[in-house]
Amino acid sequence: MVKELKSPVRIVLENCGKINPESIEEYIAQGGYKAVNRVLQEMKPEEVINEIKASGLQGRGGAAFPTGLKWEFTSRAKDTPRYIICNADEGEPGTFKDRPILEGDPHKIIEGMIIAGYAVGAHYGYIYIRGEYILSINRFQKALEQAEEHRFLGEDILESGFNFQIEIHQGAGSYVCGEETALMDSIEGKRGNPRFKPPFPPSSGLWKKPTVINNVETLANIAPIILKGADWFRGFGTKECPGTKVYAVSGHVKEVGVVEAPMGITLRKIINEYAGGMRQGKFKMAQVGGTAGAILGEDMLDVSLDYASLKRKGLVLGSGAILVMDETTCCVDMLKCFLNFFKRECCGKCVPGRIGTEKLLEITTSISQGKGKEDDIDLILQTAKVMQKASLCALGQSPILPISTILKYFKEEFIEHIKGRCPTGVCKI
Amino acid sequence: MNTVNITIDEKPIKAEKGSTIMEAALANGIKIPHLCYQKGLSIAGACRVCLVKIKGRPGMTASCTTEVAEGMEVTSTDEELNEMRRLIVELILSEHEHNCLVCENNGQCDLQDLAYELGIDKIRFPVNKSVEPIEDSSEVILRDPNRCILCGRCVRACAELTVQKVLDFAARGSKTYIIAGLDQPLVQTDCVSCGACVQACPTGALTEKLARFQGRSWEFRKVQTTCPYCGVGCQLKLNIKDDKIVKVYGVEDGPDNKGHLCVKGRFGFDYVHHEDRLISPLIKRNGKFEKASWDEALNLIVTKFKELKNKYGSDALAGLSSAKCTNEENYLFQKLIRACFGTNNVDHCARLCHASTVAGLARAFGSGAMTNSIREFEKADVILITGSNTTETHPVIGDYLKHLATYNGTELIVVDPRAIELIEYAKIWLRQKSGTDVAWINGLMNVIISEGLYDKEFVENRTENFDKFKKVVSKYTPEKVEEITGISKEKLVAAARMYGKADKGSIIFAMGITQHTTGTDNVLSLANLAMLCGNVGREGTGVNPLRGQNNVQGACDMGALPNVYPGYQSVSDEQAKEKFEKAWGAKLSPKVGLTVVEIMDAASKGKIKGLYIMGENPMLSDPNLNHVREGLRNLDFLVVQDIFLTQTAELADVVLPGVSFAEKDGTFTNTGRRIQLLHKAIPNIGDSRDDWKIITEISERMGYPMVYRSPAEVMDEIASLTPIYGGVHFDRLEGQGLQWPCPSREHPGTPYLHKDKFTRGKGLFTPVDYIPPAELPDEEYPFLLSTGRILYHFHTGSLSRRSKPLDSIAPEGFLEINPQDAEKLKVKDNDWLRVSSRRGKVEVKAKITDRVDKGVVFMTFHFAESAANLLTNDALDPVAKIPEYKVSAVKIEASDYIDS
Amino acid sequence: MKLRDKEKDVIALLSEAQRESKHNYITEEKLKLIAQEAGLSYSEVYGVATFYSLFSLKPRGEYIIRVCDSGPCHLMGSRSIFEVLEEELKIKVGETTPDGKFTLEETSCLGICDEAPAMMINEKVYGNLTPQEIKKILKRLREKKW
Ligand SMILES: Cc1cc2nc3c(=O)[nH]c(=O)nc-3n(C[C@H](O)[C@H](O)[C@H](O)COP(=O)(O)O)c2cc1C
Ligand code: SF4
Ligand code: FES
Repeated sequence: MVKELKSPVRIVLENCGKINPESIEEYIAQGGYKAVNRVLQEMKPEEVINEIKASGLQGRGGAAFPTGLKWEFTSRAKDTPRYIICNADEGEPGTFKDRPILEGDPHKIIEGMIIAGYAVGAHYGYIYIRGEYILSINRFQKALEQAEEHRFLGEDILESGFNFQIEIHQGAGSYVCGEETALMDSIEGKRGNPRFKPPFPPSSGLWKKPTVINNVETLANIAPIILKGADWFRGFGTKECPGTKVYAVSGHVKEVGVVEAPMGITLRKIINEYAGGMRQGKFKMAQVGGTAGAILGEDMLDVSLDYASLKRKGLVLGSGAILVMDETTCCVDMLKCFLNFFKRECCGKCVPGRIGTEKLLEITTSISQGKGKEDDIDLILQTAKVMQKASLCALGQSPILPISTILKYFKEEFIEHIKGRCPTGVCKI
Repeated sequence: MNTVNITIDEKPIKAEKGSTIMEAALANGIKIPHLCYQKGLSIAGACRVCLVKIKGRPGMTASCTTEVAEGMEVTSTDEELNEMRRLIVELILSEHEHNCLVCENNGQCDLQDLAYELGIDKIRFPVNKSVEPIEDSSEVILRDPNRCILCGRCVRACAELTVQKVLDFAARGSKTYIIAGLDQPLVQTDCVSCGACVQACPTGALTEKLARFQGRSWEFRKVQTTCPYCGVGCQLKLNIKDDKIVKVYGVEDGPDNKGHLCVKGRFGFDYVHHEDRLISPLIKRNGKFEKASWDEALNLIVTKFKELKNKYGSDALAGLSSAKCTNEENYLFQKLIRACFGTNNVDHCARLCHASTVAGLARAFGSGAMTNSIREFEKADVILITGSNTTETHPVIGDYLKHLATYNGTELIVVDPRAIELIEYAKIWLRQKSGTDVAWINGLMNVIISEGLYDKEFVENRTENFDKFKKVVSKYTPEKVEEITGISKEKLVAAARMYGKADKGSIIFAMGITQHTTGTDNVLSLANLAMLCGNVGREGTGVNPLRGQNNVQGACDMGALPNVYPGYQSVSDEQAKEKFEKAWGAKLSPKVGLTVVEIMDAASKGKIKGLYIMGENPMLSDPNLNHVREGLRNLDFLVVQDIFLTQTAELADVVLPGVSFAEKDGTFTNTGRRIQLLHKAIPNIGDSRDDWKIITEISERMGYPMVYRSPAEVMDEIASLTPIYGGVHFDRLEGQGLQWPCPSREHPGTPYLHKDKFTRGKGLFTPVDYIPPAELPDEEYPFLLSTGRILYHFHTGSLSRRSKPLDSIAPEGFLEINPQDAEKLKVKDNDWLRVSSRRGKVEVKAKITDRVDKGVVFMTFHFAESAANLLTNDALDPVAKIPEYKVSAVKIEASDYIDS
Repeated sequence: MKLRDKEKDVIALLSEAQRESKHNYITEEKLKLIAQEAGLSYSEVYGVATFYSLFSLKPRGEYIIRVCDSGPCHLMGSRSIFEVLEEELKIKVGETTPDGKFTLEETSCLGICDEAPAMMINEKVYGNLTPQEIKKILKRLREKKW
């Protein structure tokens, strides 16, 4: 099981560790499937959508798109059938916040998917779980069977006339398949190449049909919102970004694990209050939002960790992963590690993504070996900038953020390497 | 057209709604750089060099993936865009060492051009120096991974144009590469060597193997012309260096091929320069050919023909014209036979392929040709294909059908005794016993009528004789049809519903329908079916015979037939006769002439004494070859005009060297009634002469001068005498050609026939009953033999077998035999077999396959070494006089023949 | 109500084929069968099979050791994990031991960053790795019979 730090609020994680995830009875005893019941018996699809819109819930998969709007677009698409997809591919390095929900409270996700299906008029759902999450897959499979037995899934759910079915699709080892359109191609049995957009999934998604795709954590928020109302939900977090966020903390802190906290908590608070402070040594930097996220220096310890505040600074919250690094960490070595990830996981379809990631790594590697040239830093930046503008998908568009921010704080360290010295002694020059 | 107004670089443009910025730009002559975009293929959006800026939108947008919208303001180039493009191209140039100096495609490379246009003078990135081996297993295609930029155009061309899906991407990220099959050499895959991938490749990663080191792009003279192979009439661009064809591309705006070609069209041109080409006239003396001068040869011919005419009368002479020759040549040929020889004994090999089509459709509708256009198939909801192995015999149409079934939702019904490739794309496949076509077609109509699926309004208003027809059809219940044809009732009903319910149903057929003693009946039945469902006279519907040879439609149109003048004007129609007598200044015979098989027959009986054959090879193409040989040998005088010494030419007294398509001006009419130009691309080889000039020379020397300065002038005369060609003149044919009927200069041509009215007025239903084939298997000859063509060869192989790549891919004939039969006969793959019929025997290798049913065997007729037509039956359809190539009875024994 | 033909889900078919193989890979015969079953061309199936890192078309060891080298694990010392493994197994990343027992692979984040550095051996997760721990794990697996 995933370690959970002492969360200040628990909406998404409320049942995790508390109930037996393999028992639907225990879930029901905690008020589970009440939301489905309410929606099917008392609410029209539009009312469900309006409630979610009113809650201000934003996608927790990284892009923070308003969930209610996504549902509304899909519900208005002409074509049928429509599909619901739960994105449980969780591949962003440092991100392990969906796993506790998958392993600890799978019915909550199922509930969210059923409600989404009802809201947009979809009768089919897929959950795309990464192939490495064996326990998640097994638990989810069991949960599906139980939900079917209890007639929360299948035909004429709770005598409402509404049909809904869910199928698990296992990933087979590809980070980019977490990108929504690549994920759809992957379900369709193809190579996981991202598609160009538009068209967007609400009008043309899985098998070119209207599709809602939502992250696990997003869907886990649905039942609570339906039961307790949009206003209650807005009571957490900030005005622009209501609700909570599950942050995954890793790296040089005393306690690693997930913590659910109101949107807008600061990095300092997370490190000091929940993660027990730095393991040893002094804080050097943190990467927020996974490998595609920005490097934050000491001056950012008090920035509010929510989508809107970070966006205003040109940063991202992404998946909510927080990798904390102390002063023994070498910037060049870490950047090399990040770039290696991009290179390995990029699909290879578009030129900037395919060759750009490769060349960024090549150049950074040569810097780490002390073979760099002064111009290289500029070339890295320029390349990443072009990739940001020109790449087909967000994977190739991302390296600019870690690169530009790490250079903002630690350009000197790069120059040191070019001169032939690794200040932390990590790189073998 | 629905348009929106946009500006690109401040230039106002009307763009088609729903088109992309890229398409709008290209249509208006604005070149936005691109590498992965290719017209006619799906969009990848992968290379990212086509990015543009749109006012009011942040960042940059790929112009190939973005639709135009009203008022859009696009910037296609500025310094920022160019800087971005430069970096991207530098990235590409660093992925491999693109050594342009030694690249076959130097000077003809989108990447090279783009790098130059962007002013790239150095590559800032470390360049990958590793070198991968070139893959050269294919006879025609070279694959060089070191020049591949992974734009995916080849992958899409293979998947979308040819629908073979041989190529794809493998691995991912920076390791991505292009594979064939399971990462195999091309020859081990399903590659059909069409070369669509080569044409799609923007760099030198895919090149023509045979063109390697034969010339640089800037050295080539490029001439557009029409493919000399099948009836699709693909538009080609010949690339010529030093008067030698080096390579061929498909013309993107080719109206029917849209850039696509098959292996024959793209790689089968080298026969033009083959050392076997006839380069001077030959006269046979003491059983041996000797070179002769033109004067000598022509004088001998004229003396002989005059002598025979005087001695035995005009009807002792005959001529076989050619479906491989141009309209102008066919016109002049039949004019020579009619006006100068004085007989209607002129025919050509359309007799052997589609005579029953012409007869049947003329009777039912009034016009014997494809009712609709090739590119209209995409408008059809359902296409019924029968007796046409389209992917091999009309590959570009076959690929198009595969494309429509795969990407367009078009439903295909295939009715064929053989498991042809198209069954894999068909919703329903009916496997009838050979020769039972009338029965299943009646069966379909029986179901359609009894289920009320037919178009009552159409039947009522536009047709006649429905009631009599209905009575006959009512006998063909699904049960009875199952008994005759072997098609299960359920499948028959399903097919009837599918075709019957379609809004637009189209029918395609070819020689599997026509080459029967009941050929005309079969065609009439298909015509009945189409009329019954109101599927005539509308776009995307119709009855569509696929004509075999490049100009078989034209040769018929030109009256190279014993019963009609050009434009199907009957020789027995007094008025027509007068018209032509006046125009040609000669007395014409009112007597219908003899057909191909009748001519051979008459020759062996001594009734035909002199025969002039232009570009035909009856010694391989006609049924019952032993009988043909007997006939030709019995002639007093035989003249053959050809480009090679064919099996027929070998029997001639005089052989005249004509020229190939590449040396000609003129026109071909394709199967879609489209008249298209040929352009002379190279000088005549040796002392050969233009075929049209040879005809006029003979005519003049016989005392009937025909004076023309060019084929264009011949066409002007054709237009003046042939209403359906009335508006056809060379100056109108550049580019898209014209589809007949085109009665006047102003007329735009006719994409589909019988719009509000059938050519004959009302459509005529003909009641047709099932009659079994003339010869069926029995104890002595227990197998049913069917014959046909393969992808890599054409007709009697006189051209394709002289193409090195084609003949290396498919060097020998074979007999397809079912595994169960093979086991019974203890035959293994590639064993030699002796196949014999009542008429002859051949030795051929076995190919064991369940493409053929038990009790059925199949052979091609391209190979002289194993000439299928030694076996075939010359029993004729009573109306069209087409022989029954598709059904004859044979026996099969192991042979002790040794491969030489 | 059926979502789709399970039989036609290529990725599921590939996973199954690999699971059935003792050497953790998909044989050429299987690829061909899957192509036929799923109605795909050979190249399409090959393209899919080589896209996903969990699949292999070459025989691999009985145990596939996949060590994460993404940010959190890298930070927590995954490099030394590789070193220990390479030394113990006497193979490099991407290789299989001559006895066919182990294959060593480098992988992207496994989603167990709370136990960094981490790895998976076949379907089992191993976290908070130290050189000593690794030696123990290998010893146990070596002693296990086929
Ligand atoms: C390269 C890449 C990887 C991604 N991986 C994931 C992932 O593993 N899980 C996830 O929920 N979203 C992932 N996303 C985001 C999805 O594309 C998409 O935005 C999300 O599933 C939408 O759900 P939401 O609106 O509920 O956040 C990824 C995006 C990119 C560009
Ligand atoms: S950036 Fe390009 S190459 Fe990379 S994953 Fe996205 S689409 Fe594929
Ligand atoms: S042409 Fe648009 S991305 Fe290649």
